[in-house]
Amino acid sequence: MFQGKKKMKTILAGVTALAATTALLSGCGSSDKGEESSGGSKNVTLTMIVSGNKAADGQDFELDVLPKMVNEKFPNIKLEVQKLPDDQYNTSIKTKLAAGEAPDIFRVWPRMGSAASIIDLSKAGYLADLTDLPFMSNISEGARSDMSNDGKVYGITKGIDMLGTYYNKDLFAEVGITEVPQDWQAFLEACQKLLDAGVTPIVMGDKDPWWIQFGAYQLAANTVYSADKDFDLKLQSGEKKFTDETWVKALSMYKELYEKGYIAKNTLGLGGPQATQMFIDGKAAMVFDGTWDFPTLTAQGAATFERGFFPLPGNEPGQPVWQAVSTAAGWAVNAKSAHLEEVKQVLNYWFDSSSDLFAEWVKLNPSISAFNGVPLNNDLYKYSYELYQSGGNSIYFANQMWPNGVADTLQVKFGEIIGGRKTTTEDVASAMQAKFDELWKK
Amino acid sequence: MNGGIAKKTLTHIGISFVLLLNILPLLIALSSSFRSVSNMTNPLQLFSEFSLESYRVAFDKMHFMQALGNSLMLTVISVVVVVLFTSMAAYPIARINNRLSKALYLFFLCGLVVPSQMVIIPIVQTIQGLHIPSSQYTPILMFITCSIPFSSFLYTGFIKSSIPIEVEESALIDGAGLMRRFWQIVFPLLLPVTVSVVITQGVWIWNDYFFNMIFISRAAESPLPLAMLGFMGDQTNPTAWNVLFAACFLCALPLLVMFAFLQKYFIGGLTVGSVKG
Amino acid sequence: MNSAVLKKTMYWFVVPALTMYLVFWIYPILRLFQYSFSDYNGFIQNFNYIGFDNFSQIFKDGVAGTSLSNTLIYTLVFVVFSNLIALGLAFLLNMKIRATGLYRTAAYVPTLFSAIVVGFIWSYVYMPDSGLIATVLSWFGVDGASLNLLGNYSSALYAITAVDVWKHIGTSTVIFLAGLQTVPVDLEEAGRIDGASSWQVTRFIRLPLLATSMTINVTLSLINGLKAFDYSFIMTNGGPGRATSTLLFEIFRMAFREMQYGKASALAVVSFIVIIAITIFFVLRLNKREVSA
Repeated sequence: MFQGKKKMKTILAGVTALAATTALLSGCGSSDKGEESSGGSKNVTLTMIVSGNKAADGQDFELDVLPKMVNEKFPNIKLEVQKLPDDQYNTSIKTKLAAGEAPDIFRVWPRMGSAASIIDLSKAGYLADLTDLPFMSNISEGARSDMSNDGKVYGITKGIDMLGTYYNKDLFAEVGITEVPQDWQAFLEACQKLLDAGVTPIVMGDKDPWWIQFGAYQLAANTVYSADKDFDLKLQSGEKKFTDETWVKALSMYKELYEKGYIAKNTLGLGGPQATQMFIDGKAAMVFDGTWDFPTLTAQGAATFERGFFPLPGNEPGQPVWQAVSTAAGWAVNAKSAHLEEVKQVLNYWFDSSSDLFAEWVKLNPSISAFNGVPLNNDLYKYSYELYQSGGNSIYFANQMWPNGVADTLQVKFGEIIGGRKTTTEDVASAMQAKFDELWKK
Repeated sequence: MNGGIAKKTLTHIGISFVLLLNILPLLIALSSSFRSVSNMTNPLQLFSEFSLESYRVAFDKMHFMQALGNSLMLTVISVVVVVLFTSMAAYPIARINNRLSKALYLFFLCGLVVPSQMVIIPIVQTIQGLHIPSSQYTPILMFITCSIPFSSFLYTGFIKSSIPIEVEESALIDGAGLMRRFWQIVFPLLLPVTVSVVITQGVWIWNDYFFNMIFISRAAESPLPLAMLGFMGDQTNPTAWNVLFAACFLCALPLLVMFAFLQKYFIGGLTVGSVKG
Repeated sequence: MNSAVLKKTMYWFVVPALTMYLVFWIYPILRLFQYSFSDYNGFIQNFNYIGFDNFSQIFKDGVAGTSLSNTLIYTLVFVVFSNLIALGLAFLLNMKIRATGLYRTAAYVPTLFSAIVVGFIWSYVYMPDSGLIATVLSWFGVDGASLNLLGNYSSALYAITAVDVWKHIGTSTVIFLAGLQTVPVDLEEAGRIDGASSWQVTRFIRLPLLATSMTINVTLSLINGLKAFDYSFIMTNGGPGRATSTLLFEIFRMAFREMQYGKASALAVVSFIVIIAITIFFVLRLNKREVSA
């Protein structure tokens, strides 16, 4: 009897423990639903996750302005926005997609650029077809097709990004460089002049390895794509290889800048923030970067000087310079979203050129707009932008046509060159080709 | 006696120097956090300016109070459950000396070597398969799970070394059941090691952004580290580092306060707990 | 505790923790083993089983070799330095002086910050030319510009290890402190009365009694080192080249950047085995020494 009672109690203890566990398991997250208001109009919460960082000063478009204005226009729609840095974003969005828990609206990159790209995600059936939305005809042809796969539009870009060379006009004038270098020879001479005057010609943030792409793609635009715009298609069909002369040439030209000391030594120890710091402090005359970095590169540093921006001239004398200009990342819609109608309502309002939200977006958007009829808002880019508009000599950022991972190999192997290893430019090209062959299956 | 005082002063100077060196990198961050947002000159120019603007921006943009509330909720629930579950689990493992106990002990300990970044996709699929919705509370499951190995290790060592079976004897004679013996007699005696568990697990759960990032999709539900992540730059975005540092100190402040109060118990808990074990 | 029934029922107490552990930790790990034989890319659910291809690919690439040796060097440096420095600091903080509470808090503070922020701060410490170290060196007339710790192939790995050591010292120190406080005061006094120097007291009385905390610290730092990921990810992106690419970083790169989840799982499986083997080897050896000490 005594024994029995005790046994009872211990079994009870066990059951309680089990119950505690199951209560915990099922109790978790039971609060997700309950958005249906009892009245007539349906209250909807839309979720949106993007990459990037919060604006430190003033209003952030995606985090502050967008949700507020959407809610004012559609009182029944609440938009919840979250921002994460690129790498964290990529991990997060992939895991969420794999689990079927993706947000309604999220960040995508054009073509095959980055890990969450239009082509990869649309192939997997994760993206909703946006082709029929009324504002599509207002987006420039190129930007639309970069966000498409198999003739269907899956994303809306933030705008257009250019790679280029930011330069310190005061330092250029000081050493007697009177005009923007127009070809490779002139560029090298300008660097030499700066170096002779004791000025560091170029600083880069190669510790963040993607910076290597900033220079390499501008040079490749001239050596590879100026002669053959379809190089990457031929690469995919196996007709061309990275080891062909043209890519090796681009890499060799880039290597030359490091060998001659034009690009500061030690760049492998500098991250992006430190490199831009040196530029705005007036410690280096140039930096290769994109238009997205406008706020940092124009911030007030230790020195006050005038900035300029020109495409890195990788061309032969007499040839036109080719630029690396690309459709920027943008937004896509989850194909499995439970509120597709509401999402489309929001997009139609947002991208309607006559809406107040659109005007606000244009005002706060650092990228050059891909919408027809929106003027350029930063004078710094006027030179490059007019060149791009008039000549049309431009190519997308090369990695957008490669499986994600090839650019990574470029960074790793070219990093070895910067670090003074015995790696040759041919080694870099063949490593890129090997990685391409490994990843290009489909 | 004078020599004694001199020696003591020297010791103090020595220790202060070593510790100053230790927190020097944090001083850089602290000084940057006291700058105005637009002051982007080199952060190594220490304390060139004193402004609380960065704190104000960080406070607003992170929705600090809301995020703090979320952080507290996540951490407190997780830590309470960890303490309950693992102290319970450790009890039989420590008390019963047989193969099963040993196997369980090692089995739990093994979990320590597996990094969560790697297993995240299967984890999320498992949670999905169990039809547990992805919400503000989902990370708690993983916080608890990942805390099990180390906490049960601490508890087992402590019970084995410091809670002799004799303390339960009178209760046994009275015929007290397992539940009463554990909750009324053993559990209160575990206080020192409980403090250690609370600090060691509380700190990582408080700072973790990984599981939060995977499961939480709404800004209003974000805890502090996730809200802070928004100030980090990336490939196409500059880092707002004055604000980031301010955010970081705001985020660590509650921990600092907690540690300052609990450090005495903390070290004590480890003393009798793991170390004697 | 004699009743066999009683013993068995006590095991009910393990159930809650064990259930969670099995469901959310062990089961997903088994799934990972399954994926290691597939060409799963991480988000498209239809995939094929491809046998041991992933495993042979890893070893053919040489990726496993580089990242394994990086991880081992990282671990060795991490274990040795974090424990030595922490031990010294623990002795200092165990002295009977005022304000030890304040000092202990100061020693533990770095542990309270998240790795992301720590990584970011330290990139300013290491920055060539105008970084903290370079600046301090220039006060002594040494040219800081040539010092490029993170950008140099031979030093980058040690540089990020140092950051991890810095962040980890607080934890190890506290565990050592706890161990030191178990040293009975009368034993130390007895030693002194017998004419032992303070070095001898340390060597023959304190150190042997620290054996257990040593085991814990070495084991924890060993596991920490073998799991190294944060600073390669935050500070160097595995670079320059692959100089700081640890096992876990390489797995991450494969899984989330190259979208080869299957191959990454295979490398993960290999890593688990290596980590568990090394850990068990050391734990067993340390336990043996502890008994004989």
